Amino acid sequence: MSEIISTEGLGIPVEVGAIDSQLKKLWEADEASTNASLMNFLVYTEHPSKLQGNSETIQELTREHACRAVLIALNRNATEVKVEAWITAHCHLAHGKKSICSEQVSFLLHGKSLGRLRNTVFAHLNSDLPLVFWWQGEFSDLFEERLYRLLNRLIFDSSSWSDPKAGFLRLLEVRKDTKGGVVTQDLAWTRSYFYRLAVARLFDEPMAQKSFPEIELVRVKARSQHRTAALLLLAWVITRSGWSVQTQESDRVILESREGRRVVAELIWDDEGAPISELEIGAPNCKVKISREAGNSHLCQSVCSDDHCVELSGPADSDEAAGLVASQLSRGGKNSLFLHVLPQFMELLEWGD
Amino acid sequence: MGKTGVSNPFREDLVSRNVAEACSVVIFGATGDLTHRKLIPALYNLAVDGELPAGVQILGFARRDWTDEFFREGLEKLNRQVSRTGHDEEIWESLASNIHYHQSEFQDQDGYKRLSEQLDEIDRERGGKGNRLFYIASAPEYFDDILLNLKKAGLSQEVPNCDGCWSRVIVEKPFGTTLATAQHLNEVVNGTFEERDTYRIDHYLGKETAQNIMVLRFANAIFEPMWNKEHIDHVQITCAEQLGMEGGRGGYYDKAGALRDMVQNHLLQLLSLVAMEPPTDLTADGVRDEKVKVIRSLRQWNTPELVAENVIRGQYVAGNINGKEVPGYREEGRVDPESETEAYVALRCMIDTWRWSGVPFYVRVGKRLPKKATEISIHFKETPSVLFNAMPGGVPAGNVLVIRIQPDEGISLMMNSKLPGTTLRMEPVKMDFHYASSFGKSSPEAYERLLLDAMAGDATLFARRDEVEEAWRFIDKIHKAWAESSEELPIAGYPAGSWGPREADEMLAKDGRTWRRL
Repeated sequence: MSEIISTEGLGIPVEVGAIDSQLKKLWEADEASTNASLMNFLVYTEHPSKLQGNSETIQELTREHACRAVLIALNRNATEVKVEAWITAHCHLAHGKKSICSEQVSFLLHGKSLGRLRNTVFAHLNSDLPLVFWWQGEFSDLFEERLYRLLNRLIFDSSSWSDPKAGFLRLLEVRKDTKGGVVTQDLAWTRSYFYRLAVARLFDEPMAQKSFPEIELVRVKARSQHRTAALLLLAWVITRSGWSVQTQESDRVILESREGRRVVAELIWDDEGAPISELEIGAPNCKVKISREAGNSHLCQSVCSDDHCVELSGPADSDEAAGLVASQLSRGGKNSLFLHVLPQFMELLEWGD
Repeated sequence: MGKTGVSNPFREDLVSRNVAEACSVVIFGATGDLTHRKLIPALYNLAVDGELPAGVQILGFARRDWTDEFFREGLEKLNRQVSRTGHDEEIWESLASNIHYHQSEFQDQDGYKRLSEQLDEIDRERGGKGNRLFYIASAPEYFDDILLNLKKAGLSQEVPNCDGCWSRVIVEKPFGTTLATAQHLNEVVNGTFEERDTYRIDHYLGKETAQNIMVLRFANAIFEPMWNKEHIDHVQITCAEQLGMEGGRGGYYDKAGALRDMVQNHLLQLLSLVAMEPPTDLTADGVRDEKVKVIRSLRQWNTPELVAENVIRGQYVAGNINGKEVPGYREEGRVDPESETEAYVALRCMIDTWRWSGVPFYVRVGKRLPKKATEISIHFKETPSVLFNAMPGGVPAGNVLVIRIQPDEGISLMMNSKLPGTTLRMEPVKMDFHYASSFGKSSPEAYERLLLDAMAGDATLFARRDEVEEAWRFIDKIHKAWAESSEELPIAGYPAGSWGPREADEMLAKDGRTWRRL
């Protein structure tokens, strides 16, 4: 069945060869606004029906991240090979004063044509600015070396992959090919950022620190759709704790600490809850628990021993892709912790597969 | 084990800076404006960003007979008005449950004994290990009493038998009013706390653009090779305020004056960041060693003649700002009608180092100027008088790099460009970077960063004892000349709403330069 493609919010339709001159006209028509750009931000999807939604995402994202946005959708099923293009600008009042605008160029590629995606990308970049590429969905055959070698940051969401193992193996190839030159960012990993921050925060508490050598249980509750996010979080806990996987059973993993102590890790699926709804780390006399109700923008955090509890509230990660991408771009960096956790994650990925 | 001695494997690689540790924050002068408008909103915003360590307890220490509830209500009311991130009930409730009030006179030793018991009780109840951060935000006349009583109560000492525990103090400005009083205060502080546990706050250093000075200089290969007497003609540092003595600030200001209130701390800190050599590393002492060398290298204006030549002091007379009539300085509330206090000061500073020999650093600060702006401008030398410079129409202006500290934080570079047309004519053009345009996300308030740093044991953005004393040594000599030769060194008047006294313009004119028009 063919997808319904809406292009209403994409702006003015333009000839591909006239994009630059039309953008110039757009800015000349509005002297009161400032055109700002700190990066080229590319969003690629092979679901053309998402083009409209991606434009709305850029509208949100440009509140904090001025960029030249290039949206590309590929309509693989079209028989005729052609390209349609639109231009628009997203403007926001910066600190309630000046109108700051980011320009957006959208492309709808019909049919399949060799090298067209790559050429479309490279023909419409702002020189010298970093190239951030958000690849939506599975890495397809179009995700090829001459494209990814020129990226500065690659964003993807492994939660949307039907075959995460194949996807991550492809990712490892990319890293090898580029000698680690592309910063890779999985939104499934970003989804657990505030969980990780909360764990670190709670383990600053002396009673939690004292209990660390006695941890016997780690339990993650998440939506099954967010299995990779849950596994990445678990892999992080295991890596940071220096444990190793002993056996993987259908409902749990048996781990061993450096001192030879047994630790059990469990994953529970809760499709009604938040993407990650709970993380519990338990020792005989102390329990660290972080939880989030669906739709709530806060994490409830607690560390409890027999005699007392410390309870806190902290921020939670966004449920929306735009929010996750925005917070990731704000944090920047090489994302080295993700790479550090990846081998352990790959081992866990086999679990229950 | 992390840098700060915390054994928390989950902290590793999570954030790229020293980790703030759980502690009890005791604020002296908790009923004051600073606590309500800056400190608590800063702690709240850290909680919103998930940066505030778990187990942080906040204890307000003040004289008024308030309860925990009354204290919290007042803080909540202000937080709603001023918090950078708005006010979230859930986060506030979580923070407020850890806010307490301790009523005591600052001089009452018994109050500190009770404070110690209360802190121990909180630690027992909440499993805290006894880290304490004392924030002295009271009026300066109580600094000595507070420090001495903390020592007597044993609160400045680390908790016995506790590995990695700490007790630190943050001291608000003014850090002394002369070299002698600063030295005395340093004796008292260091008699109570180790220097490594002493954090003299200068909120200018917590500002994003002030921190960006080092990045601009040392992370961009194009600037540092030109950052010296060979290429830079002069530097200007301006801190202009529209405000006068509103809100009763005349009482404090009339005793301090612009030189003590702004130059000794904020502006000399900015000057040292601009002029310092690259530090060997980014540790607190690595950076501060280089900053103090700059202040130590300032040529001393130690005679009335030198002061007359290099320092202009001024007071505003009645004028108008934004179309509104405003009174002169001596007519302001709580200001002595015969006051000799400067509401404006302009200095020519010379840094006697190899790098800066012969390059003047002009510093000016004043009240009731036409606009509010703090900025540093680096004026590069003109190109040689050949080619374009030899053409009729005059020499094009030298390049100017401007670092705007506040408001509208950013950086701009003025350069010369050809005007379109068939003739060869040049005009200066401006390349401009605005934080607000490029980064939609608002920067943390200076106090957020500084509180977090103090909890993490990172003193890089705080002034060290020798920096403070060297700055006072420079300032004191000017004050001495003013006091001893007040007739030869009169206070120049300027109309409110103007850019300061004519004498300040003349000081630059003698050097063939002008103040930058902001």
